[in-house]
Amino acid sequence: MSSTVIKRHTKISIFIHWFNAVCWFFLLATGLGLIKNEKLDPIGGWWPDLMRGLFGSGEILLLAHVICGLIWVVVFLVYGILRAKKDVIPFMREIFSYSPSNDLLWLIKKPIQMTMGYKMLEKLGFEPRIPDQGFYNVGQKLLAIPTVFGGVVIAATGIIMYASKFFIIDKMVVQWSILIHFVAVGAVFAGLLIHIFMGSIASGELPALISMFTGTVPEDYAKHHHKLWYDQVEGEKHL
Amino acid sequence: MEVKYAMVIDSAKCFNCKACVIACQLANGVPIGLYRNWIKRATEGNGAKVHFQPGNCMHCDNPTCVQACPTSATYKDKKDGTVKVNAKLCINCGSCIPACPYGARFRHPEKKVVDKCNFCEERRARGESVACVAVCPTKARTFGNILDPQSDAARLLKSNKTVKVINQTTDTKPNIDYISETAPMNWPVEPKAPTPIRLWQNIADPLVKGLVGLTGLGIFVMLGKQLLIKDEPPASGHEQGKEDAHEQHSD
Repeated sequence: MSSTVIKRHTKISIFIHWFNAVCWFFLLATGLGLIKNEKLDPIGGWWPDLMRGLFGSGEILLLAHVICGLIWVVVFLVYGILRAKKDVIPFMREIFSYSPSNDLLWLIKKPIQMTMGYKMLEKLGFEPRIPDQGFYNVGQKLLAIPTVFGGVVIAATGIIMYASKFFIIDKMVVQWSILIHFVAVGAVFAGLLIHIFMGSIASGELPALISMFTGTVPEDYAKHHHKLWYDQVEGEKHL
Repeated sequence: MEVKYAMVIDSAKCFNCKACVIACQLANGVPIGLYRNWIKRATEGNGAKVHFQPGNCMHCDNPTCVQACPTSATYKDKKDGTVKVNAKLCINCGSCIPACPYGARFRHPEKKVVDKCNFCEERRARGESVACVAVCPTKARTFGNILDPQSDAARLLKSNKTVKVINQTTDTKPNIDYISETAPMNWPVEPKAPTPIRLWQNIADPLVKGLVGLTGLGIFVMLGKQLLIKDEPPASGHEQGKEDAHEQHSD
């Protein structure tokens, strides 16, 4: 097999990915620390106590959360505007394009293979080959949609909550924002767990992780994991 | 010495002059139309007998307002027993407002935080007394540290039978004691956290935990399978052959 590499990510994509990752980690940690109420805190009171201890006080923790959140929103807005044509629109188009028969089969086969192996696929009477996928597989696309919209919801509700310190906003709007913010973060976080596992720990996915630094993937990896994208790239090469 | 601030009120002495209400508004920058304290009125027999009952935040030992606050921006200060609002942490969501059976809380239109009686913390820090207590012409209100037996409040508590005004559903263990008896008694409402906070506690919290837990379980299974089962892609039979053929062809 050849050791040639294929370009998969631009420098800007790599930057925005890791920027998002760092912000998410920080905002999740500080946000969980802001929930100090034994009926509401999801992982217990030790976490808000720890975070408030680390930051000095609840109000400094809130300020840190808000500043990081605002940086996250502003950077994504600037990115979204500057890279609308090059990144955002193609990305949105990609995550909304499906080929039903192929993708449905992938959605049935891939989870069986990931949890019980190819042999189980054969035992269940499936042809064990996983259907070919494009730049993203259908699992990635289906996770990307709630992640993108969840992100917008998280940003909007976060802004409402902080704006409430400076403007009189109807208290029902603020209260619902708190609840929606929490639920949206929970849902996106569940997806994030899958993303982290599939992008780093899952066997055969190490090249994907490396590509988030180098921007390139080995030809083999592209051929096996994103065959339709590989074919397209190769096809364009020969035009 | 331990400190627990409380108020003892002899409502029989109150004649509804409302000096305490105005003094509080002036001392604490409470906008017109909003109040940190109040005088309730009870009438008996076609208004022939009238009783006035001064009050304010009761700094409860079982504060339902604190239980409704998501961030502990409002909290029970263990150092002096008062219920406080940390204005820098409060985002003015107002979740605590319906959770107070006494209606002691409001959203301050200028400060953009929830506001309530703090037993004139700022005045006391300057060495002054609590405004409503200082201004009362009949000395109906007495403020003090009830854990200090020498304080006026503690002495009054010791030498008198007192009653507390409590709502019907939850004993919030208020820290205003009324000497002998008072009226009206049945005005406090059922303390209730607003719908989003109750939904958070009863539905959203278990839902999110369940979702994240199930996802974690799925990953745990995938990880276990990866570590325990040797799982090779199907013997690179016809599909692999096809790919190679395709490659050779296109080259």
